[in-house]
Formats: sequence, structure tokens, C-alpha cells
Amino acid sequence: MTTATAPAVDSVEKPGTRRRPSRTGTGVGRPGFAWAAPAALFFGLFAIVPLALVLVLSFTRWNGLGSPEFAGLENWSKLLDDPVMVKSLWLSLLLTVLGVLVQTPLSILLGVWAAGHQRNRAVLSAIYFVPLLLSITAVSVLWRAVLDPNFGVPSQATWLFGDGNLFGVQAGALGVLVFVSTWQFTPLHTLLYQGAARAIPQVLYQAAQIDGAGRYRQFFHITLPQLRNTVITSTILMVVGGLTTFDTVLILTQGGPGTDTTNSAYYMYQKAFKSFDFGAASAIALLLVLVATLVSLVMVRLSGYDKMRSTMEGV
Amino acid sequence: MKRPVQLLRTAVVGGASLAMTLFLTACGGSEDAAGGSGTIHVLVYGDATNKVEKQLVDTFNKTSKVKAVLDTIPGADYQSKLQTIISGKQAPDVFFNWGGGSIKPYVDAGLLMPLDDFVSKDPELKSAFLPSVFNTAVVDGKPYGVPMRGTQPVLLFSNDKVLKDAGVSAPRTWDELLTAVKALKAKGVTPIALGGGDKWPTQMWFQYLYDRVAGPELFQKAVDGDKEVWASEDSRKALGKLKELIDAGAFGSNYDSVKFTDGGSPALLATGKAAFELMGSWEYSTLQDAHPDFVKSDLGYGAFPTVEGGKGDPANIAGNTNNFYSVVKTTKHPEAVAEFLKLMYSDEFVKAQLAVGNLPTTANTPKFLDTAANPAYSTFQYDLVKKAPAFQLSWDQAFPPAATTTIHQAVQQFFNGQMDTDAFIAAMQSLPAA
Amino acid sequence: MRKRPHYLAGFGSVVWLFVVGLPLYVMLVATFQSRADYAANGPLGLPGNLTLDNYVNDLDNGFAQYFLNTVVVTVAVVAIVLVLVPPLAYAIVRGDGKATGRVFRLFLLGLAIPSQAVIVPMFYLINEAGLYDNLLGVILPTAAFAMPVCTLILSGVMRDITPELYEAMTVDGASPRRIFRDLVLPLSKSGLSTIVVFSSLQAWNGFLFPLVLTQSSENKVITMGLYDFQTEHGVDIPGLLAAVVLSMLPILLVYLFARRALVQGLMGVGGK
Repeated sequence: MTTATAPAVDSVEKPGTRRRPSRTGTGVGRPGFAWAAPAALFFGLFAIVPLALVLVLSFTRWNGLGSPEFAGLENWSKLLDDPVMVKSLWLSLLLTVLGVLVQTPLSILLGVWAAGHQRNRAVLSAIYFVPLLLSITAVSVLWRAVLDPNFGVPSQATWLFGDGNLFGVQAGALGVLVFVSTWQFTPLHTLLYQGAARAIPQVLYQAAQIDGAGRYRQFFHITLPQLRNTVITSTILMVVGGLTTFDTVLILTQGGPGTDTTNSAYYMYQKAFKSFDFGAASAIALLLVLVATLVSLVMVRLSGYDKMRSTMEGV
Repeated sequence: MKRPVQLLRTAVVGGASLAMTLFLTACGGSEDAAGGSGTIHVLVYGDATNKVEKQLVDTFNKTSKVKAVLDTIPGADYQSKLQTIISGKQAPDVFFNWGGGSIKPYVDAGLLMPLDDFVSKDPELKSAFLPSVFNTAVVDGKPYGVPMRGTQPVLLFSNDKVLKDAGVSAPRTWDELLTAVKALKAKGVTPIALGGGDKWPTQMWFQYLYDRVAGPELFQKAVDGDKEVWASEDSRKALGKLKELIDAGAFGSNYDSVKFTDGGSPALLATGKAAFELMGSWEYSTLQDAHPDFVKSDLGYGAFPTVEGGKGDPANIAGNTNNFYSVVKTTKHPEAVAEFLKLMYSDEFVKAQLAVGNLPTTANTPKFLDTAANPAYSTFQYDLVKKAPAFQLSWDQAFPPAATTTIHQAVQQFFNGQMDTDAFIAAMQSLPAA
Repeated sequence: MRKRPHYLAGFGSVVWLFVVGLPLYVMLVATFQSRADYAANGPLGLPGNLTLDNYVNDLDNGFAQYFLNTVVVTVAVVAIVLVLVPPLAYAIVRGDGKATGRVFRLFLLGLAIPSQAVIVPMFYLINEAGLYDNLLGVILPTAAFAMPVCTLILSGVMRDITPELYEAMTVDGASPRRIFRDLVLPLSKSGLSTIVVFSSLQAWNGFLFPLVLTQSSENKVITMGLYDFQTEHGVDIPGLLAAVVLSMLPILLVYLFARRALVQGLMGVGGK
């Protein structure tokens, strides 16, 4: 098996076999573009090409039957006048901001906590990981059952939930969406922070202890700053995930009550697969991609992530 | 440090070889698949009834040279997926649908085969079915569907023990219903269970009230494109009656957090937390699965109450008339398809459907009603459908699929007060005509 | 280093255990009850008569086939990601051309593309390629859409390798290929294990691509099989949840066994 496939690996690594790639001359032994090419090609074919087709579709009228008709800017101009569209963008942003605000502190705390070597922490963090393994269908069926107003938790805790109409009012439905996403995705971010926290050199803590810094000062003065890169990675993941939240909306609230949880990703799905207006759906999709790209680029710029700084600097 | 690198290398190499093997087998595989001729593809909604469809396909394949292949699409996404494939090379030959608006766009796009030829060769393809059912799949005067599975009228189910405790009897009129609601509320029971989270259960109340108050003509005009009828006096009257019921607290306050589909609202009925539920005839089998003791002892069912002074015949019903098989025009084997469709009124079909709790609408159904899980219930329904002067197809299926979202949002928002009467009328007027 | 117990953290961890555990408890309890008992007891009730029927039925209803298909999809997706992403991340972190910078931007853009946005063109591309209703037709787009996040994670980890280490190797005249093999890969174990976990989860729980791109039951994956518990008007919740538990078990086992390696890998970046 190994002999038969050795060429496949070689072809991936081939560009590197040039001893001294003399590109711009910034350094010796730096990988050339060819290292990135296979991945870029693959990704281009299966993600960027379809996206380009979406752009084309956004200028057409098409219900999926027959061929698309050219419609000029019709979809775009209708979109900008559509109150549901505007509302959906705000809801997307709101869900994202709430998601980051809830998930970041939680996963930092859990990650740092799980980084400890105590046995009980190992066992508990194994359990904490489980939600990530469930498919969204299961997650939503479960939470629907747990949050049922007549037979679930709300019926046992009326002092907190009142009549339990969580899915019937906007605040409740949004709260459930943020909560369930947090429940499901915190393990992923916890894992990132756990790894990063364990990578923090122990010397730093030892030095701090000699200086008499307490547990909380150590956390704020050593742990948090050392986690900077991870915070950025994790936040970008959360922001993009938040902006494109779809499955949870589809299965938990269907955008309701009314249009009160119809975020852009769900609105696009509705236009495409419920109303069969693929032109309008494509326009929404592009708008969403545009917003998400802008946000992530701004974040990358602001955080200096693209400058390839290392946490090791200044250690 | 050496070992992990080796391990990784093995993993990468192994992975690459696996990917290549997969690629090659896959390429080889797709060629055979394309070569398959002499088959018809039957596409159905994927759920528990599929075993009956499988059985009929097997029966058909025993005698036919052209073989039928059954494909299923997971439930909730059936309509979306169908629309994506129906005009392309993956189109099925025969497919499941709900008649009415669910096939209208395909008829308009010239994708479906009118079935008059089939019917003239075998008149039983029409005469073997109840006319009110068969007509649901008639579009622009031509038949486009043969009924399959069963009829699903909407009935008013009740928990008779709860009714008895509150000293209430099954309501025959709207006023009796309102009185019952007051008595039940006084007892601390939610009068009517509603799975508002699914939205279509909410819509059922509109369907019946419009039919009772205005008769089936109003909605028919609306579907045909007359937007003015929504603003008519009858329309406002129907909405007014509904508002009265909602404001009386008939549905409690948290119905939008309850679903029928996850068993929430039937559980309310079965456990005595609610007294009534307006639901399709499938409620019976749902309750049978989840609350068998309740079905034995306290489950009651009946027709929707009459509305005093209404124009609609009190014997009218609403719901899902039936499911249908329609035929895609490009099928290469129309004769085989016609033979396949003939099975839909066979004795074998009727018996198999009754066994899984469906109620077919064929002329030979009464012969087998006593083999049904609950003969009394099946007979009640069959008579109801047979005697009904009009069978109102569910609104979201009478309009084309594109209208569904708007209808569902409007009924939900009218119930929870986000829309008043005028806003509801405006929303319905914005619907595209069928 | 000995530490005194942290009571606040202990309390917090118990609260979180409850939040995580409650739905899991509901799930497990439901799967061992008949539909009727589940309905009678409610989601929070204590189970009465325990039964294994849900599991037995699931295994009888073609679950093994779906399971196998899912394994094939997952292994292939992970393989593609493992072959393509590490060289890419290496090029992004250490490459010097403008081109690699552009590629990185491209992948950042990719982060923002929700898969449902491109599903319609994707259907046509896959269909034209003759890959409709073929597992490969699910594998390729799933892998492509797992790549941006994996790239982000892995390049984040590679970024933390100190420049001194690179320089030391370059001074010895090492080629990029050798640096990749002897320095970058070993020091990126944490990232590699994370992207394996991430991409296998993506593939294992993938929903939209299999939904739109497959049709026949021979090519069904588990997430599609979960739909078998849905009827036109309802859901068989205990049956569905038993299927969920079955589908989760293998990946949970992998996690439990690989956990040590995973967490070991996640620490020690930078030669600690």
C-alpha cells in the first residue's frame, strides 16, 4: 500500500524538493506558492466556483424549473426595500454578538479549568465534550423536549419561566437560540483554550508566585494575555459561525414567532427552498457572504492576525 | 520525536491512497448506474408508510418487465428536494404529492403528463376513487394525479373524561364551543391544545371557520386570484369569530412553544391538561402509539361544530384530501406507469394501507373497513368524506408551495396578536395566485 | 506544584455539568423506554420499564449500511483535509510571496460562505460531474467546506512556532520540505489533532450536502437515516434518540481513546 501511493505524497511535497526556492529572496527555505496550490485549487473548485454561480443567479429570476431568466438588478433592488431583509441582518448581528459575549468567557474559564491536571477535571471535561458530537437534529429534539412548557423544565420552574412560552416571544426564542448554540459549540472553543492554556510556560506562574501574585492576578496578568492568539482564532470562528447560524434556527424556531428569529441565513433558505425564488435567495446569500467577509477581515486587521505574530514574542 | 512523524506519514500516505481508491471506484461505479434502462423511478415522501409502497413496488416487479425502483426523500424536505430535481435528468417517473397547489407549478411548467389517456384506457383509474378526492388533483380541467395512501380529514378530538368532569358535552355549534371553553377554563384546564410551533395546526382553525362562515367558494376565489374576497364581510366575520375564541383564552398562552410534531400537543390532550384538539385524522394513530390507554378509555372525536348563520354546509370538511401519484411527462415507460398506477385501487393496496392506519378512498374500501385497526373510527371517517359536499384542501397545499411561508407566518401572528384583522387580510392579499 | 482546591471553580463546574448533563440524561432515559412510556413519563420523568427495543429496531432498519457509508465519508473527508491543509497552512505562515497572502484571504472568505448559500449551484456541478447520488459527491464539497476552519486553526498553531527554530534549521541548509517534515509537523500535533476532530465532526454530522446530493437508500448516511423516525406528522422520539446514541458511540469512543493524544498534542507548542 505504501509503495503504491508514495507518488501521491511526492506530488504534494514536490515543490519543496527544490533546495533553495529563490522567490523574493526574503529567506532561505521558505515554502513557495506551490505548497498552497493544491488546497487552493480544490477549494476554488468546490466553494468559489459555486459562489460565482450564485453571483450570476442573483441577477436572474428562477424558480428551479426551466432555465433562469435574466432579471437585471430586480432582486437587489427588491432586497434593499424588504423590511424582513433588514431585520434579518440585525438579527444575525445580534445573535453573533450575544453568542460571542456568552461563549467567550465561558469557554475561556472552562478551557483554563480543564487545563489543570486533576483527575476529576479530566473526567468532567470528557463529559463536557459530548454535546459537540450530537447532530443538530438531535440537539434540537432534545432541547425542545427539555424546554417543553407543559412537561419540561419550565413547568417545574414557573418562578423562572412563567408560562414557559419561550418559543412564542422574541426574547425567549432568541435566548434559546443563543443558549443552544452555546451548549453545542462551547466544547470546541474550550478545547482550543485548554490546549493553549497548557502551552503557557509554567515559569511565568512560578515567577508570579514568587512575586506573591494571587490566583486571580495570575489569571488576568498571565493567562489571559497568553491566550491572545487563541482568543482571536476562537472569536473569528464564533463570529462567522454566528453570522451564518442556520441549522439551529431551522429546527428550533423556523424563524418564528412570525419573523422574529428569521436571521439572514434562514431567510435565504426560506426564499430558496420554501418560496423557490432562487434569484432573491442568491442575492441574500451574497449579501451575507459580503457582510461576514467584511467582519472577519476587519477582525483580522484589527487583531494583527495577518501579521503572523506569535504569542512567544515578549516571553 | 521520531515516532509521531512516522505515524503521521503513514496516516497521510494511507489517507491519500484511500482517497484515490475511492475516487477510482466511484468513477467506475457511476458508469454502471447510468446504464440502467427499463426502470421507472417512484419517488415518495420518506416515512413509516414506505413499507406499504415497498410492498406494492415488489408486487409490481413480480409481473412487469419494466422494474420499479422506490426512492424516498426525508420528510420535511420533500417539497424542496423535488423542486430541485424534477426538471433535470434526475427526475423521477412517478412522484408523491398533495394535489392542488403542490403540483400546479409543475403543470404550468409543462412537466407533468395529463392522465386523461390513462383514464380513457382504464376508466377505473378515475371511477374507483371518491370524486371529491380525485378532483383535488385536477388542474385546469385535466387530471394529473391518482390517489395513493389515504384521506386525512381534520376532526375535533376530545378528552371525554375532562369534558365530563367539567360538565361539558361535545359541542355541536360554535356557541356551545365557546360555552365549553368558559367552563373548562373555570376548571383550570387549557380548553384547546394547539401545536402552534408547527404553524399548520393553527391554520386548521382558519380553514374550518372560513368554510363554515363563507362556504368553500370564498377560498376557491382567493386561490384563483381574486384578492378582494379576503377583505369581504364574510372574511372579517370569520376572523372576528376566531378572535373571540382566542381572546376567551381557549388556547392558553404558551401554544406557540408547543408542537404537534414532537408529541407535545397530543400529550396535553391525553394527560387531561387540555380538553380538545383540532387535528388531522392521523391524531388517532399518533395517540395510539404514544397513549394507548387513553385511546381505549377517553378519546372522543367528532366533526367541526356548525356556525350559526354561516353559508357553508355543516357537512363540509377540511384537511388533506389525499396524497397522489403524478407522472412526469418525460417518462420513457408510460405503459408501465399506467400499470403501476392501477395497483392504487387494488385490494392488496387497500388492505395494506388500512393495516398501517391509513384510510384509502377507493370504491372497494368499505369491503375491508372491518380489517382496520379501529373499524368504527375508519367507518366514521369514510362516511364523513363520502357525504361531504366539499372537501377543503389545507390552505398551504391549495396555494403553490411559494405561498406557504407567508400563510404560516400570518396565521401565527394573527393568533399571537402581532397582526390585527387588517394586517392579516393584507398578508393574504399578498399571496401569489395559484 | 500543589494547589489548594478552587471552590468557586468546583461549583461552576458542577453547574455546567448539570447544564450539559440534563439533556444527555433525557436522551439516555428516553432511548430505553417505549414510545408509550416516554409519552406517559414525560422527558424529565424517571423511567419505568426499560427496554432495548429502540436499539434493536434501529439496527434492524438498515442502520449498519448508513453507518458504513458515514464511516467512508468521514475517513475520506479527514484524509483530504490532512493531505491538503497542512502544506497550505505552512505556506500561509512561512511563505513569502504575495500569492500565499491572497490564498489566505481566499480561505478567510471561505469561512464566511454558509454551505446552504451555494447548495443550488453545487447540486448542478455535482450532477454535471456525474456524482449525484454517489458518496464521492458528498465527500468533495464536505471536505472543501471543512477546509477554511481547519486552515485557520492549523495556521494559528504553526504561527506559534518560534522563528528561531526555523532559522536554526535554515542555517543548516534544510529545504522547506525537510523543515515541514521535521519541524512543522511534529510541533503542530495539537493543531493536527484538532483539525482531525473538527473535520470528522463536520463529516459525521453533515446534513445539507447528503440531503441534496444523495437519494437512494444505499447511499444514505446516518444523519439522513435519522429522518426515518419522522412521519408526515410526527416524530418517534425514543427511536430517533436511540439512533443518535448509536451514531454518537463510535466517535465518542475514538475521542475517549484519542483524548490523551489530543490533549497532549494541544499542549507543548513551541518546544515546552
